[in-house]
Amino acid sequence: MSFKFSKIRILESGYDSGPWNMALDEVLMGSANYDIPILRLYGWQPPAVSIGYFQSMDEEVDVKKCKQMGIDVVRRITGGGAVLHESELTYSFITKVYPRNILKSYNLICDPVVMCINKLGFNAKFAPLNDITIDNKKVSGNAQTRKKNILLQHGTILLDINVEKMFSVLKISSEKIKDKMINDVKARVMGLNKTFEQVAYELKESFSEKFVAEIIVDNLTLEERENTRNLANEKYTSDSWNWKKK
Amino acid sequence: MKKVHNIYKSKKLIKVSLEYDEHSKIISSITITGDFFLYPEETLDALEFNLIGIKLEKDSIKQKVEKCLSGSEAFGFDSESMTDAILGCLKPKQD
Repeated sequence: MSFKFSKIRILESGYDSGPWNMALDEVLMGSANYDIPILRLYGWQPPAVSIGYFQSMDEEVDVKKCKQMGIDVVRRITGGGAVLHESELTYSFITKVYPRNILKSYNLICDPVVMCINKLGFNAKFAPLNDITIDNKKVSGNAQTRKKNILLQHGTILLDINVEKMFSVLKISSEKIKDKMINDVKARVMGLNKTFEQVAYELKESFSEKFVAEIIVDNLTLEERENTRNLANEKYTSDSWNWKKK
Repeated sequence: MKKVHNIYKSKKLIKVSLEYDEHSKIISSITITGDFFLYPEETLDALEFNLIGIKLEKDSIKQKVEKCLSGSEAFGFDSESMTDAILGCLKPKQD
């Protein structure tokens, strides 16, 4: 089965806080049109640590250190691990039309991300379930959820990586293994060393090509903004959400 | 009552914290966390809820885990590794 759309609604929502970014992803799941999926491109300001839906904030994150460093903390609605969001392009793809098979849906949506990275001169590959790698080094992590027959997949495309900073805010059980892990991660993760704008351009082109769709560059509606503000305040900054898994 | 925890490495990490009666081995509370994926996500809440009142021994845990995970899709673990992760709470910890 091939997946084509007549149009894709593109939102370049800018750089925002962790709670805002996660709230907007959830709000946009309610905006999805059957024929027209949404591709949102965004960044994080201030930097933020997001944890997966099934993770415990206190187990994974040095929240006190994050506060000292001005780094937001937020829990995602998607599974997966803890991520420090800083030098990256983050995308969200929201659609009502997708393969029911989970692996196939990850593969489908990661494909234009792979295409984008390769247009920038690399040899990237999809690494199931949810990673994209260049010569076995991870450059993109992705996570998906499905609610009421709407799929949200969001993912990072690393532009640069500060492994020491990452390990200073994520909890590692033993100092003995921390150094080993830092060197290990440096060997297994990489950034593209491209600008946000360069990656954004190629990502939009790649989604258009993959799904044979016209790109419609759009803005958030007033209602979407208002709903996002409310959801960010009520849910994504609340302890009841962020510390739900103790 | 005894509080125990375990960190289990399957394809993804599973972390289990539970409280149980040392005499009867009945679980009174359990929290399962990790960096895995599970669809639908609510399956994990149901699994934790249904493990309360269950005896912390292999057959009982295995049966409950298999029943709760049936109809869902997990990435990063399966029924066997989840069962092992929970039972691993009983193993003595090495410093």
